[in-house]
Amino acid sequence: MTVSTLEAGERGAAHAPPGARARARPWLYLSPLVVALLVWVYGPLVFTAVLSFMSWNLTDTHLSWLGTANYARLVDGRDFPRAARNTLVFAAVLLPFATVVPMSLAIALWKRPGRVSSVYRALLFLPVVLAPVAMAITWQFLLDPLSGLVNVITGRLGLGTHNWLGDPATALYAVGFITAAKVVALNVLLFGASLASLDRGLLEAAALDGATEWEITRHLVLPHLRRTIVLLGMLSLVVVWPWIFANVAVLTQGGPDGATDNVYYRLFTYAFTFFDAGTASAAAVFITTALAVVLGIGLLLTGRRRRDFA
Amino acid sequence: MTSPDAVSPVGVSLGGATIPRQSGVLAPTAPAGTSPARPRRAASRRARRIAGAVGRHTLLLAAVAVMVLPVLWALAASFKTPGGIFDENPLPMSPTLENYRVATGAFPVWRLLLNTAAMAAGVTLLQLLIAVPAAYALVRFPPRAHRVLTALIVITLLVPPQSLIIPLFLMISHLGWRNTYPGLVLPQLYGTGLAVILLRDHVRAVPPTVLGAAVLDGARPGEVLRLVLLPLLRPALGAVSILLFITSWNEYLWPSLAAPDIDHASIQPGLAFFLTQEGPEYGPLLAGSMLATLPIVAVYLVASRRVTDAFMHSGIR
Repeated sequence: MTVSTLEAGERGAAHAPPGARARARPWLYLSPLVVALLVWVYGPLVFTAVLSFMSWNLTDTHLSWLGTANYARLVDGRDFPRAARNTLVFAAVLLPFATVVPMSLAIALWKRPGRVSSVYRALLFLPVVLAPVAMAITWQFLLDPLSGLVNVITGRLGLGTHNWLGDPATALYAVGFITAAKVVALNVLLFGASLASLDRGLLEAAALDGATEWEITRHLVLPHLRRTIVLLGMLSLVVVWPWIFANVAVLTQGGPDGATDNVYYRLFTYAFTFFDAGTASAAAVFITTALAVVLGIGLLLTGRRRRDFA
Repeated sequence: MTSPDAVSPVGVSLGGATIPRQSGVLAPTAPAGTSPARPRRAASRRARRIAGAVGRHTLLLAAVAVMVLPVLWALAASFKTPGGIFDENPLPMSPTLENYRVATGAFPVWRLLLNTAAMAAGVTLLQLLIAVPAAYALVRFPPRAHRVLTALIVITLLVPPQSLIIPLFLMISHLGWRNTYPGLVLPQLYGTGLAVILLRDHVRAVPPTVLGAAVLDGARPGEVLRLVLLPLLRPALGAVSILLFITSWNEYLWPSLAAPDIDHASIQPGLAFFLTQEGPEYGPLLAGSMLATLPIVAVYLVASRRVTDAFMHSGIR
């Protein structure tokens, strides 16, 4: 900073009404973000909502108003309700991997902090980093119906071999478990973040009073994590879909026989296989609304309507 | 991400707010040291402690095994000969680079990796350019406005990207940006909110007196940002940019729509394309997968501590 800018700054500070300046500036610095989010999120969202009432084949330019016919077609059809059911099953399969499993791991890491825990933590986060399509290919290899590692193991155990991804009865669970690693990895870290705000002094006092490890966990640690469990359970249902989407797109394309189809993949199919922008947009509105309802209920449950974003 | 892939919309301030936060980037607060050993307790207590340690390591090792071993298995298999790829011995007994030769010959891996690196770097840079001033501005709003604005930013993280792709696709097509870098990069700015949220608490952790002193010295807001805040934020910026880079690198859905042409594609859709083309020819496929994964894992391992700390000490709890 040169002397002249310093002087200019002082003069400016002396003459401009300080309140007005302080108020005007934040908007200036926020404006690039506002523009970006309007152009790339809020604008498209509104556009999608409008499109959901239109008939529009992406391959031509003909547009016409349809009213709620797109929604009616979604609800009355066979595919979308099935996709919605599958979506709920995916969510149910993944829920323990978003809550209980990463929570146990995070508590185990947190109980004995130090170098070893750091190494564990770095390794456990690794699945989040791994390229999704590469992981899908890896699992296709491991689940190969004839000689994949998984079938070799089940064969040795006398359980026989199975075409995990090719059987409608198991395909959804297979994709769910493949995706679970990423959910666990992310949430171990986020549970850890919540645990970092727990006062260790309290626990040491409890230990001095003769409380066992289990009693400490049960009566001090778990109550502290209660809200985190609900919030992470919900948030995982938001973040997990791009991962599931990649696995489904690479491994099953929604099959076999629609077994791994879900609302996100259905939307994609409407839009980019059938080029039906109207129906796809109706699906998008449906998904976004359903998510908003789930998140809204979750926020009410955790009782922090106003505080959560502070 | 996301598709907010990797580390996408992870919301904010999860969990307990009852106990005051005790962290901040500036003083990385990995909880230091273990609890003091308490000698000369009953032997049963020591036995229980050992049992606890065994149980704990068993749990953690099992988790690491389930989550990391599949990748290592695939990595080893990528060096096996085509005939021995399903060998139950995890180690390649006669290691060969044949699979890598086939993969790099059959599809333009290096080109795709370069495209992907350029795309991810572009997304990271643009998001930071937008997010740093935004985070700086955000903490200076009065509490009510701050809350409303933060909520509006968090909502953008919760919107499923799939519900945006149709308008984004139409926009890009209309502008003639398919198979171009602007078409690949700019729409990924929909994820900028994550960077803002991750940086916000780091900005807030800067003691107000530091910024106040700079203002008293006559620095203008731009100068405070550039000369005072930015140097203080450097560790956090390192971690956040790595996260953003990984996220964009692993993006699958958007690049597959924006750049379907194999020469302009990014590595994720490129691999998927290679898969449909190659069929179940696992050797080259696994080799290609490893080439798509190893660069990003290397980036992560170099700075894993910082990346995990960025989460641990951000407002995400």
